[in-house]
Amino acid sequence: MKRQLIAAVGVAAMVVGLAACGSDAKKADDAAKPKDYNGKTLTAWVMDGSAPQTWQDGIKADFEKEFPGAKLKLEIQKWNGIGAKVTTALSEGSVDVLEIGNTQTAGYAATGGLLDLTKDKANLGGNDWAANLNNSSVFEGKQYAAPWYFTNRVVIYNKELFTKAGIAAAPKTLDEFYADLDKLKAVPGVTNPIYLPGQEWYTYFGLVVSNKGQIVKKDGDKYVGNLSSPEAKAAFEQYKKLQSYSNAPKDKDEATPAQGGIFAKGDVGAMIGLGWEAPAPKDMAAEKIGFFPIPGVAADKPSGVFLGGSNLAIAQASKNQDLAKGFLKLAMSDKFEGQMASTGLIPNKPSLNSLAVTDFAKAAIPASASGDTTPNIAAWANVENTPNPIKDFLTAALAGDYDAAAKKYDEEITKRLAQKQ
Amino acid sequence: MKRSIVGRSWPNLIAVVLFVFFIFPVYWMVSTAFKPNKDIISKTPVFIPLEATLDHFDRAVHADQFWTMVGNSLTVTVGAVLASLVIAMLASFAVARLKFRGRKSFVLVIMAAQMAPWEVMVIAVYLITRDSEMLNSLVPLTIFYTMMVLPFSIWTLRGFIAAVPKELEESAMVDGCTRVQAFVKVVFPLLAPGLMSTSLFGFITAWNEFPLVLILNKQTGEGTAQTLPLWLTSFQSNFGNDWGATMAASTLFAVPILILFLFLQRKAVGGMTDGAVKG
Amino acid sequence: MAVHSERVQTRSPLVGKDAVDPSQAAAVKGAPKNTRPAAGPGLLARSAPYLLILPAVAATLALLGWPLVKTFIISFQNLNKRQLIQHLTEWNGFDNYSDQLTNAAFWNTAGRSVAFTLVNVVLTMVLGSLVGLLLNRLGKNMRLLLSFALIMAWAMPIVASTTVYTWLFDSQFGVVNWLLSQLGWDSMATYNWYSGQMSTFFVITLLVVWGSVPFVAFNMYAGLTTIPAELYEAARMDGAGSTKIFTSVIFPSLRPFFLATTFLEVIWIFKCFTQVFTLNAGGPERLTETLPVYAYIEGIGNQHYGAGASIAVLTILILGALMAYYFRIILKQEDEL
Repeated sequence: MKRQLIAAVGVAAMVVGLAACGSDAKKADDAAKPKDYNGKTLTAWVMDGSAPQTWQDGIKADFEKEFPGAKLKLEIQKWNGIGAKVTTALSEGSVDVLEIGNTQTAGYAATGGLLDLTKDKANLGGNDWAANLNNSSVFEGKQYAAPWYFTNRVVIYNKELFTKAGIAAAPKTLDEFYADLDKLKAVPGVTNPIYLPGQEWYTYFGLVVSNKGQIVKKDGDKYVGNLSSPEAKAAFEQYKKLQSYSNAPKDKDEATPAQGGIFAKGDVGAMIGLGWEAPAPKDMAAEKIGFFPIPGVAADKPSGVFLGGSNLAIAQASKNQDLAKGFLKLAMSDKFEGQMASTGLIPNKPSLNSLAVTDFAKAAIPASASGDTTPNIAAWANVENTPNPIKDFLTAALAGDYDAAAKKYDEEITKRLAQKQ
Repeated sequence: MKRSIVGRSWPNLIAVVLFVFFIFPVYWMVSTAFKPNKDIISKTPVFIPLEATLDHFDRAVHADQFWTMVGNSLTVTVGAVLASLVIAMLASFAVARLKFRGRKSFVLVIMAAQMAPWEVMVIAVYLITRDSEMLNSLVPLTIFYTMMVLPFSIWTLRGFIAAVPKELEESAMVDGCTRVQAFVKVVFPLLAPGLMSTSLFGFITAWNEFPLVLILNKQTGEGTAQTLPLWLTSFQSNFGNDWGATMAASTLFAVPILILFLFLQRKAVGGMTDGAVKG
Repeated sequence: MAVHSERVQTRSPLVGKDAVDPSQAAAVKGAPKNTRPAAGPGLLARSAPYLLILPAVAATLALLGWPLVKTFIISFQNLNKRQLIQHLTEWNGFDNYSDQLTNAAFWNTAGRSVAFTLVNVVLTMVLGSLVGLLLNRLGKNMRLLLSFALIMAWAMPIVASTTVYTWLFDSQFGVVNWLLSQLGWDSMATYNWYSGQMSTFFVITLLVVWGSVPFVAFNMYAGLTTIPAELYEAARMDGAGSTKIFTSVIFPSLRPFFLATTFLEVIWIFKCFTQVFTLNAGGPERLTETLPVYAYIEGIGNQHYGAGASIAVLTILILGALMAYYFRIILKQEDEL
């Protein structure tokens, strides 16, 4: 009896203690503000090409002002071998804050390498984040990262060739788009009405979303490949039709060779890509390049898109977690998130959308509403590893038998989703 | 008569064909580095970059921390080559000249060591380096590169030492030299070409090494311990490769190796005129 | 002259060793030559060889032995992202091995690797030797010219040569397709070299052979210059043709050269990674993966480090089996020394 009482009191005390801890921590946090951070260095990894220079300089200045004595070291990481680099860095505790692709976040959250930010979400401004953009930062109900920026693919077109083909306005439906591509085909000198390599799986993913399908589905307590579903097949028919207007290789993706370079030749009507894939002014004059959302089946809604982007996470092994949270809060502030938006990226909250005014962003933002991210499961990252079975599937299906290809690659996807973690 | 002209000219003809075959990819690398983007991706190949541009070189050389990486690469490569030469010379002398128990096993180990699959042992090397807290440093790179080239160095140098007639050494000893003196005064000078060619292999291996430095030295920015192979691949991204910049970087990357070739060749000619090796 | 005279020096060891060895071996056998040790087989003299090889042995044990043992240990672990990040050790016995050994993909890849190595080594050795013979036959200027091209090819960074080849064989913008269609083979104008297993292997093989021939050719040439002219004359006096000269004079004299060079080429080509991986990432449909590429994709790419380590161990065993013959021959030579 007594013992039980003691136990009960103990538990109650613990609960109180925990609660007290929580409020204490908050106070301690506030109290710690003015203290100086001499000699502390916060290391943050951002990917090559993500953060504009003004953002880097600005956040460094603000961070070092807010945390006197602390230094911010922004390390620009190259894409090559990024998987092994992130894993090993998380194991070392050599990085405090890092940019992680949204399709990879769940995988790293599951490793225990990322700090649980559930309690900090509100403080970081998380209540304003768009739900569909925050999805990939949440894993098993906990917040493991903060959504940083997003982007999705649009049709990038050559205005001159469109005019030559007699296309007055951007197509509103897929059927109109096909008709326009037919017109482009008739223009002499046009090599590709649209440049669309066979393995451009992001576009296919978007079409699957439009068709209300899923690339993988939950089957009992596990996930399995779902390419054999009618929705995925319907999406493929649309993809195949679009691809038939292209001479691009069916067994390559948009990066080999980089489609922007081919588009810049001036004999390609359109391509599907991200803002930074559009040719640089030295290769093609900016006024020649236009953007519109990938049309949907009906005029009222553009096609679904793959929502790509990056989250910012804090390493579990970081020795500067307070500073890291301070940095994250700055990065999530309207000032710095707004700077990301003004480069044409989609910010994490709709209230900043108005800052994204580039031609690309104007086309991309309306489409992002019907965008989706990859399934938010730890094993998803395995599917995207080279050789990506969705890419190989597209090549195989374009070559002929859809059902056989879908069956074969569903098995491969299922196998990868079941790999030991 | 006619037949003999044909007979004499066919080797030259084949030589010209082979010349084109071997030189063309190199030429394509260098010429592409000078081409504007529109000529790089072109249905009709542009063989001579008439509208040459230095843009790609500019981009390659102005990559962040380029000169630090040049310094790192040189330090690591030269360090590894020198260290492996010294260690290899001692060992190869023993193997070529002395009889001792275990010699055969040693030779076997050296032969087998050349099979080491470094690319897939990377994670083990990483764990060892991480747990010794030696990441982001040139030291582990230098010592592991030393090991990568050591077996080949021993194997090659031992051949060179064996090729120096023993009698030369012996006559020196008859003249009152100790064995060490005989080696330093007689054998060592004759080894110059051998040392050169061995160092060339080591240089190319260490200069090109990529998988290890990729995960050992991830820190970028000031004070980085990264080397040039990382720079060389940094013009490739998820959104496609910058071919022009990659080719410009490759051209620059190959320059030290070419210089070394030309330098070594002159040295080796010097060794040749001494005329002793062929004896 | 300059360029290849270096080669003469440079590569003579592989040959020179043998050119000198027989006489030396005879000398050693003929008389107890160990003059010094005989004079005073002191402790220092007896331990000298061991002191000399000590640094090499220590380095090999610490820098190669340790990572190898570590790889071997990891191969019995379930080591993925999570375990690596959290510093966890999860033993899983022989699972990694049984996964591989019961996996058709592993055996197919292993077979493909062996075939790939055989084809490339044979091509490299044959073409390299022929180029070496040609160098020996050419006049001074032509020899200089060809040597220059060979050296340039040899010095070109592998990343660069692989990128250039990828592109020379590009289906839309490649020089090769352009050339073939100019020559009137129109169907090749947009031929996709990377869509088939064999055509991809063709490009990889061309790249590998292109990069490997210079080493063999220079060695061969260096070796040829060490064969005394009298041997040829004697053979010619006996009325031997060029084939006969090759089989009766050149080949026997250069046998150690062929052994040593083949030994190295087998190892190098079997381990060759960058060319195979970068050219088409083992595609199409993983049909051009060789063992090193397979180990990399499974181990580093998919971040299954334990599985990758087990493939590495199996790879070493397979390579060891391939090389066993060579080990025996070369060790036999050691006996003769």
